[in-house]
Amino acid sequence: MAITPQAPALPIVAPVADRRSLPSRWRLRWRGDRWGAGAALLTGIIALPLLAILFYLGQESVEWNHLAETVLVRYLTNTLILVVGVSLLVLVMGVVPAWLVTTCEFRGRRLLSWALILPLAIPTYIAAFVFYQGPEAAIPMMIKIRLRFGVEAFLLAEQVIRYGLLIVMLAAVLYPYVYLACCSAFSRQSRAVIEAARCLGDSPGRAFFRAALPMARPGIVAGVALVIMEVINDYGAVHFFGVPTLTEGIFRTWFGMGDKVAALRLAGIMMLVVAALLAVEQWLRGRARYVEADAGSIPMKRLPLRGGKAILALLACFAPVALGFLFPVGRLLHWAGLHLLSDAGSGFPAGMALVRGLGLALATAFVVTALAALFMYAVRLRESRLRRALGRIAGMGYATPGAVIAVGVLVVFGTLDRFELPLLPLVSGTLFVIAFAYMVRFFAIPLQFTRAGLERIGKPLEEASRLLGHPPLQTFLRVDLPLLRAPLIAAGMLLFVDILKELPLTLILRPANFETLATTAYSLASEARLQACAVPALLIIAVGAVGLLFMNRWLQPPLKNE
Amino acid sequence: MKKALFHSLLAALAALVPCSQTRAAEEITLYTQRHYEFDEAVHRLFTEKTGIVVKVVKAASDELIVRLEEEGANTPADLYMTADGGGLDRAKKAGLLQPFTSPVILEKVPATLRDPESQWVALTKRARVLIYSPARVKPGELSTYEDLADPKWRGRLVARSSSNIYNQSLMTTVIEANGAEAAGAWAAAVRKNMVRPPQGSDRDQIRAVSSGLADVAIANTYYLGLLETSEDPKDRDAAAAVKIFFPNQEGRGAHVNISGAGIVKSSKKAALATQFLEFLLSDEIQSMYAEETMEYPVSETAKWSDIQLKWGKFVADDVAFSVLGDRNAEAVRLFNEAGWE
Repeated sequence: MAITPQAPALPIVAPVADRRSLPSRWRLRWRGDRWGAGAALLTGIIALPLLAILFYLGQESVEWNHLAETVLVRYLTNTLILVVGVSLLVLVMGVVPAWLVTTCEFRGRRLLSWALILPLAIPTYIAAFVFYQGPEAAIPMMIKIRLRFGVEAFLLAEQVIRYGLLIVMLAAVLYPYVYLACCSAFSRQSRAVIEAARCLGDSPGRAFFRAALPMARPGIVAGVALVIMEVINDYGAVHFFGVPTLTEGIFRTWFGMGDKVAALRLAGIMMLVVAALLAVEQWLRGRARYVEADAGSIPMKRLPLRGGKAILALLACFAPVALGFLFPVGRLLHWAGLHLLSDAGSGFPAGMALVRGLGLALATAFVVTALAALFMYAVRLRESRLRRALGRIAGMGYATPGAVIAVGVLVVFGTLDRFELPLLPLVSGTLFVIAFAYMVRFFAIPLQFTRAGLERIGKPLEEASRLLGHPPLQTFLRVDLPLLRAPLIAAGMLLFVDILKELPLTLILRPANFETLATTAYSLASEARLQACAVPALLIIAVGAVGLLFMNRWLQPPLKNE
Repeated sequence: MKKALFHSLLAALAALVPCSQTRAAEEITLYTQRHYEFDEAVHRLFTEKTGIVVKVVKAASDELIVRLEEEGANTPADLYMTADGGGLDRAKKAGLLQPFTSPVILEKVPATLRDPESQWVALTKRARVLIYSPARVKPGELSTYEDLADPKWRGRLVARSSSNIYNQSLMTTVIEANGAEAAGAWAAAVRKNMVRPPQGSDRDQIRAVSSGLADVAIANTYYLGLLETSEDPKDRDAAAAVKIFFPNQEGRGAHVNISGAGIVKSSKKAALATQFLEFLLSDEIQSMYAEETMEYPVSETAKWSDIQLKWGKFVADDVAFSVLGDRNAEAVRLFNEAGWE
């Protein structure tokens, strides 16, 4: 059941009901295909800002040749170094704890199982400030290296420390994507497979590598793909650590050289990198197909660990939390303390505005998740190549830098403004614009969750409802929606946390006098006021952590093994 | 369940409705690059004095230019403010600003610190200087920006990334003074003399000098001021270990950039916006800038802060600020070729 090479996909999902098998009055309605039209329309609306950007791609670029000759190679190498380094590290930091937490029993397991997702609440630009203390603290050692071993050794050590620390930092706050994906994959694996491996003489370790890990591959890949897109999109941390990637190149070319076309070509290359990595994975996977154990199979029983093994397991699970959450939060608490104790720490700016920021994030998360659920339902109502493509296009914003999307949204609304539509002034320049941009940027998240949820539900219930004469909308509301409650709430919460952390898009599009926690933290940090910046940073982390824990509660599959 | 869902949907939609309730008071909208907490205090002072509310959008100067261009005549913005002279010049050339007609501004601000066609005016000045360790740099060793290319500085310099607008503006003045070819060679030599690849903020460059890694940093003066008055004792120690040197004093002078503002072309509140600019240029506010953000006032009658007086008077490069805007792309191109990341 693990990998069945050469075999076609097993139809756990029944083939879509043939149109002819439906009652005749259905056929008439079906022909209108309002769901398909709705999905296409929504895709169009979401893709509009991206298309506006693509429109510039074909135009003539003054600086492109110059870029290609000077900096392009460096941008590409840096991007690839980070992608490869962070991917490898998140595999270790995500997969191992996920395996231990789902299949073993040891002291501290329950606490760590949710603490392991907390680093996701820390924005990379804030983690960068904290981790940059590393190179700064290493300066005395660096000076010794220069004195004893010369300049070359010093420069080498400097590079290694800086790149290494940046990779560790990014991995430490991003590994939870892999951890979450693996937890869900491992906990749904059938015990029978692992037991078969054990019966055939494999040690628990070998069983992990030979059976559990290969079976979890789609989940792991999905998690790593998210990590890669976050890494490629990062702007603040790489700039701070002096590792210019394609994203930094985009801003530098666009805003510093005023060459929109060359900047967008860099963005195009960035999307190609993502596509290429995913294609490589597809190719490596070959013709293997993956089938999840159905609900009836026996879940895994946790293996109790004692003594040294329990301590090792505890350490393996604790280390990522310590690095990705406890260390940065500890440093921030120290700074916040310094700030609040000094007399400068009297006023915390814009309390009300921050509440509005939170409100916007919550409302947007809610609406976007609802739209994504309907969209995915429409896509799955009649699977086709075209509809799957719609899903892929609608999720494209996730691989596009926030600032590029912001500019695309500005172009769209600016163009619409020129037509002087009657209702538009009500909309442009308001929170609606920014909420729309969040949707373009993050639509992939609820989409993924809904897709996974609908796949798990399967078609039979829905078909029963439809055959009983309920129209699709009713079927969706009464059958699928209640079953989708857990993944939708989880998606909404993850979306909420992501919007809360979002910076570049928010900076460009926000209406006047609108502050979020992220923009407040950023203002203070760009004034080099790290102590004052620690307060809003901690608030982002606190609100985000609550959201994540809430998400985790809904994500946990019901435990049946007790 | 259904009802709760409906209610939360209503609440969600309500949060997205445009927020234009505050129509009673007069207000102006400011698009600004300046991220300083102190600016908010200044806006509050202005409101107290005049009853005019200042609404603010903060983002990078070029991002705001893109936003102004796309919003066109429908923009809510009345004023555009930057922390860099090049941005003001680019906004002017993009046709986004309108001239002001205020005798107060014309009288208060020296002609070199405002646009010849009165489309923008400087509000504060910031000097980009050399910050050095008095323990490791001999008094006669420092002289000019150009001298930083000398091999005697190998492994002794630090500076931040050339993606930063302050470095780009400094580079435009080097191009203006010495020509593109010499400027490119200068950037390559300075990059070679750096002890480590560019990284961090100006503040981190100063800390690299105070911790002994480097001997000289290129940085803006007010970052040193911020370290001197920081809440963290480590920051204050770092500031105490370094000194400021104003380069090119025998020649064109130290590179001075400005923070300034202009009235947006489509604004219908030019009178209110002018009133706001005049307020910012009053000696009261100008002296507060010197005290709080450690930027230099543009008004010659305003007081400098004690820290600024301690740093001392200096000769400033009076290159036209249109140079900063015109040569910016060229500066980035030369940085790219020089390998200064």
